[in-house]
This record gives sequence, C-alpha cells and structure tokens, in this order.
Amino acid sequence: MGSRKQTYRIWDVYQKIFYMRNKELVAGYLQGQNTNLEEKIDMISIEPHSVLLGIRDGTLCLACVKTGNTAHLRLEEVDITDLDKDRNRSKRFTFIKTENGSTSSFESAACPGWFLCTQMEADRPVGLSNTQEENVITRFYFQRELQE
Amino acid sequence: MDLSKCRFLGTGPQISVFCLQKLLGFFFFFCVLSENVSANSIQPKKSTENCLHLGKHFKRFMVEGEPVILNTPFPKLHNKIFFSLHYNLSWHKNDSDKTLLGTSKSGRIWMDNDDLWILPASLEDTGTYICTLRNASYCATRSVELKVFKKSEASLQYISYRQVLVTSGPGYLVCPEIKNFIQDRNKTEIKWYKDSVLLDQSNKKFSILKGSIYCLINNVSLDDSGYYTCELPFVYKGVKYNITRHVKVHIMKKKEETIPVIITPNKTVLTSLGSKLVIPCKAFFGLGSRSTTLLWWTANNTFLDNVYKKGRVKEGQRLEYSENNKSYIEVPLIFNSVEKKDLNTEFICTAKNRLGTQSLQARVKEELTFSWGIAVAPLSLIFLLFIGIWIHRRWKQRPEKVYTTRKSMIIGHDCQTSTPYRKEMI
Repeated sequence: MGSRKQTYRIWDVYQKIFYMRNKELVAGYLQGQNTNLEEKIDMISIEPHSVLLGIRDGTLCLACVKTGNTAHLRLEEVDITDLDKDRNRSKRFTFIKTENGSTSSFESAACPGWFLCTQMEADRPVGLSNTQEENVITRFYFQRELQE
Repeated sequence: MDLSKCRFLGTGPQISVFCLQKLLGFFFFFCVLSENVSANSIQPKKSTENCLHLGKHFKRFMVEGEPVILNTPFPKLHNKIFFSLHYNLSWHKNDSDKTLLGTSKSGRIWMDNDDLWILPASLEDTGTYICTLRNASYCATRSVELKVFKKSEASLQYISYRQVLVTSGPGYLVCPEIKNFIQDRNKTEIKWYKDSVLLDQSNKKFSILKGSIYCLINNVSLDDSGYYTCELPFVYKGVKYNITRHVKVHIMKKKEETIPVIITPNKTVLTSLGSKLVIPCKAFFGLGSRSTTLLWWTANNTFLDNVYKKGRVKEGQRLEYSENNKSYIEVPLIFNSVEKKDLNTEFICTAKNRLGTQSLQARVKEELTFSWGIAVAPLSLIFLLFIGIWIHRRWKQRPEKVYTTRKSMIIGHDCQTSTPYRKEMI
C-alpha cells in the first residue's frame, strides 16, 4: 500500500495539548504563540482499529516497551511509512484505537491493557497506563483538522 | 499521585519517572543531568557560569498587576526535589546584574517550594529566568521566559489559551495554570465568564463545581465558541488579587461515519499496452470522520507493494475532499506502463471502516490501437472506390453504342407489343 499517513490534532479531555520539552513528549496548556509548539500526531491506519502513531512528520514513532511487568512509552527514531511496510517490526508501534462518543483511546497492541495517557497535572510526560485512576487521563480528542 | 500507575519515557537518554521514584537522590540528579547529554560529558561544576544548561521552557505571558508563579523547570517528586539529597536550588534573572532572586520573603519576588513567586508582576519582570540546581559536585540550569504585558496592550490573542470541544456531547473547559493559587480547595470558587457575561448557576448549560477548576458544558453546540474567562480570588498578606485566565474556545462539529460506498472506478478501463494509466478509486463516506477509513488497491488479492516490487504499478497519493458537504476519499491506481499480463489481473479497490467494507473490481482491457491493418483498410477502400469509378467511366464511354443497340432492341421489341409502355420506357 502507498503512504496513507494522515496528520491529526490530539488533546486530552481536560484540554492538554502535546508538545516537546527537552526531547520528551509532554501534555500541557499552551497559551498565545506557544500554541505553535503543539505536536500533531501522524497516523497510519493498518486496520480500521489498528494504527501507527508518530510525531514530527512521522519520523519519531510512539512505541510500547515492556520491562518486567511495566510498560513504558518510548519515542523511536523510525519512519512511520517504513513501519507500515514492515508489519513484523511494527507491533510495538501499533495501537488499538477505540472511539467512544467524541473521544478516542489508544491501547498498545504489544502491551495489552496499557493505554496512552496523560496526567491531571500539566506539563507532565505522556505515557502509558494500565489503570483507570482518576488522575490519569486515557481519553483524547483526536481530530483531523480544526473547523473554526 | 501514585506515579507507578502511569509510566513515562521519552526519546534517547531520558528519565523514567518510575525509576526515579525508586532510586536515591544522587541517581536522580544524575538522571536529570543526563537528560540532554551523555554521562561522559558531565563535569563537576563549581560556579553557575559553568553549569550545564539543559534547555529552556516556553514563554509565559502574563498581565501586569497579577501574581505570577514560575514553576521550577526541574521535575518534582512529591513536591520535593531530590528528597534524599542535599541540593541547592536558586533563581536569577538573565540580565546584567545576574542577581539572585527570592532570597528574602519581604520583597515582591520570593521562592516557595522551589517555585519563584512574583507578586504583583510588573513590566520590568519581562525576561529570561534561570533556575540553577547544584549539589557538591554537579550543577545544571534550565531557563524559563516571562513576558509581562501592559494591561492596555494585553490583547486576548497574546495571552489566551486554546481549548477545543466537539459538538453533541458534554465537554470540559479548564482554568489553566491556576492550581498553585488555590488556597482552600473546599472554599475555592472560580467564576467563569463567556464573552464577559458571568455564567451562574441559573444557566443550565454550564456546570461549575465548587473546588474544581473545570467548567462542564452539558451539551456542546457550535455557538459555545468564543472567549471565556475564569477568575480566582487570591488573598496574600491581606491584599486581594484576581487570578485571571483567558481561554479561546473552538468548537468542532462531530463527524458521523457511514458505511463506505465506492463510486468509481468503472468496471472496465480501456487502455493500450505500453501506455501510462491512472484508475482512480473514489469512495463516499457520508458526512463522517475519515480517521478510520481505509482505501486500498490489490492485484489478485495481494497488496501492490508485494506484487510490484519496483513500483511499476502502485497507489498514488490519498486525497480527501468534500463535495456538496459530502466527504470523499480517493486513491488512484497508477500504471507506469501497462503490460499484457495486466489484462488478466484482478485489480480490486477496497474501502473499509468500522461499519463495513466494500470492494469493486476494475478490469483493464486493451483498446484497439494503430496497426497497419487498420491504417491500410480505409486506403484500400478508397483505392477500390477509385477503381470502381474508373471502371464505371470506361464502361460508360465504350458501351454507349451497345447500350443504344440494346435500347433500340428493347424499343423495337416493345413497339411490337404496346405503345403506351414504350412511351413510358422512353
């Protein structure tokens, strides 16, 4: 299949936007001209529910890496289009996207039960969570473009 | 917050919060330093000037007269940096004096729990603030920028936060970067305004809970977009301040997804061998979201990449567009050069989303193209026509007499039988 990369805006249900801070993906409130720092998500659907996620034009991809019983979110320097062509390599980069009303959640295919998450507190790293705790947010708005 | 429930890692030599929670302060300090550089490059530093700079945080935009808190740009754990390590954290402004800030509690600027408080902010506070973290052997800095606007120049577009909601459901607006000013959570009451009109409890559309920094819009509609303001009273040393945040709210229409319907290609596509060919596959997805809709081509039930390794036949760029408010996706099938085997290949376009799948086959057929047979055929006809005309003329010239003879013979014959008939013949 050809390149089917699409760019989306992502923000959690408490309005935190993704941005990079010292090479780390974090979520916070962006003000004034800082809104230009927003990291948009590049996505390739490999199945209607399975997606590859990246940032920076698909050159840094979101992956789940397991250490013991713990799963970590890692950004890896790999091209999302190459991952799309090499399905054997792409498992840890694959997320199951589930829509619920206006929002979506992203469960790692390689780390079942672990969901992409932000924290209630602003400017904290984007990560993976396996709980439904109050201070962990796993529901995101995920939209192609803003209609203003 | 139990951080072990949410684990975080970034790229490269990053910190794992989980690991930090478990390790002792020294290792934590090492982690902080190694966020941007390799361990080899860390050298013991004695003075601030030689500290390792670990990058800057984005600018904060505030209005004069308001209290400002610059949070320490170093990660905190349980509100304590380096909980088991002796460390020293200091702030200074990156101006000519480089004076240390917040050393006394009596002034306008002080340090509280490693954060820098400026109360109230004035125009001259604009600048870069450097936060320095050191222990006996290591030193690191991070900077934070602050811009303080004059009240009259604080245009909403410079200072407001962007928030977005989607129609047809409930959605939260958040009063951002205000938590540090909440003195008593149970008594906290944030006032919300939309375009300067107070949203009070009588307004059923909005729910504002005591002690919460959120404003819940019960059923988001397009006319909820606009500028919102949230306001929190804050009292310090008997002086009452208002912490104000402005939020620009965008509303997006929720998109409804439908089962995909493929509109083109036509079942048979005529082409000639050796030529370039593009067959677009166009599918209709209703008014809906295209986020999970797939459209792809296969050749004999195999993905094109696997069949045409050199890309003689490939998919073109995916296009998404709207016509008369309806959403379409189009993916073309591109042949660099059509070959004979393509005529016997099943090219199928498939459109799929979570509601359904549809496929349509396009058959490539050879169109009659230039050949000598075709070119010679009309020429032969013309040639035959000329021959015909020539023969006809020859016939007309020579057999004039013969014809006359025949005619007279007939006439003669007729004369003998019936005169009216003879007349008719003449």
